[in-house]
Amino acid sequence: MTVVERPLSELHFSLYGTQVRYVTASPVLATPVNEFLRHFRQEVLQSSVPLTLYFHAVDHRADIPVIISSSAHQLAIKIGAAGEGGPETDLPYEVILDDGRLIADFFGVGVLVVDSAKGRADGYLINPQMMPDGLIEYLFHLALTELLRRRGLYTIHATALEKNGRGVLIPGNSGRGKTTSFLSLLRSGYRYLSDDHPLLRDAGTHIDLLPFPIKINVTEQTVGFFPELRTASAEVLQPRFPKRAFYAEDLYPTSTGDCCRPALVLFPHVIDAPHSHLELLPKSRALEILLPQALLVYDSEVAKREFQVLAKLIKQVDCYRLHFGRDILELPQLIAPLLEERM
Amino acid sequence: MSDTLRARSTYTAVSHLDPTLLHQVVLMKNPDVQATNMDGETVLLDLSTGRYYTLNQAGSLIWELCTGKQTISDIHTALCNRFEVLPERALDDLVILANQLTQEGLLQQERR
Repeated sequence: MTVVERPLSELHFSLYGTQVRYVTASPVLATPVNEFLRHFRQEVLQSSVPLTLYFHAVDHRADIPVIISSSAHQLAIKIGAAGEGGPETDLPYEVILDDGRLIADFFGVGVLVVDSAKGRADGYLINPQMMPDGLIEYLFHLALTELLRRRGLYTIHATALEKNGRGVLIPGNSGRGKTTSFLSLLRSGYRYLSDDHPLLRDAGTHIDLLPFPIKINVTEQTVGFFPELRTASAEVLQPRFPKRAFYAEDLYPTSTGDCCRPALVLFPHVIDAPHSHLELLPKSRALEILLPQALLVYDSEVAKREFQVLAKLIKQVDCYRLHFGRDILELPQLIAPLLEERM
Repeated sequence: MSDTLRARSTYTAVSHLDPTLLHQVVLMKNPDVQATNMDGETVLLDLSTGRYYTLNQAGSLIWELCTGKQTISDIHTALCNRFEVLPERALDDLVILANQLTQEGLLQQERR
């Protein structure tokens, strides 16, 4: 074990009443997380039982002090090399459940150990000084997401916006038009909730959609669709291989939206046609499509609650397949009547 | 009645049920399975595997009646009363679905 002891930096955040402590001795690990959660920073913790994440920089994989018991079992595995030219987060991994601890092994990158019952996660990152900030954010966010689940805050892989107190969720994998449709609405006056990780919370009578504002990642292709992105300065639209990233408030006259009731869920896919159109989806089909974007069963009690939250969400919204054509900038006109119906 | 179950996996149905014992066999849901009804269809999540399934309206009625009290024959009668379907076809679909759900670990069969 050659973790060099340095003074610890401790950062505090508050996410909708859930207090989070982030402790690390490595400035390389502190800065990206502090930036990632910049909307949630706070000086002093208010709860005696915060979630705590310790992230450690190690020099070698052998320095990671994680021992896996013989009763551990594998939950998931993704094999292959880290993608050349692909997203920095496209990593091989193995996920193991060991006596209530979730262990995500990213091989040459590091290991995350999440003990949800204790509200604690440890991240061991190998040579993080060589990692892009986006990868450190990603690993931190994975651990945080697992801890938040147990506190009733569920992350969904979607973009999210708000208008007049009504939320629009656009879930989906990369390449289906998720960020492009999101930007088309954002530039027309919708308020920003999240580019990729909004939170859901069960409010009893309904599900709340909560902002999780982070940098917006865009591909070169997406940049090409929007004049303001094409002409944005490198200071605003920063390189973030293989994409570029910017803060919504730097480019659009928008503010971060408030906690709201979701009203619409759009499942986009790109079509080769001049005009976009919408197709109403049966709710069972919508839930079926949504589940892979949100729910991973690691802890069955938590998964049970999360499943019910997602089902409740789908019951309270209208769901559409968005066949997304080349009229990208016209999307707000297509969506407006749907939201008006829900007012 | 066809396509009673849309699953996120493929499998081969195996006939486990003895047709002569249908009035003695009851079906029970696996407690690890979460279910939610959406406009008549039912989405199931198996917490032990993380797999999920969708049942159509007929499948949803069958699922609802898998309480450990109704026999397969009782469920068959309920299906015929609810849907316009030939009794033989309803029985075939019921037996196939019961076997599929049992094979997937979503249901347990018990002889009374």
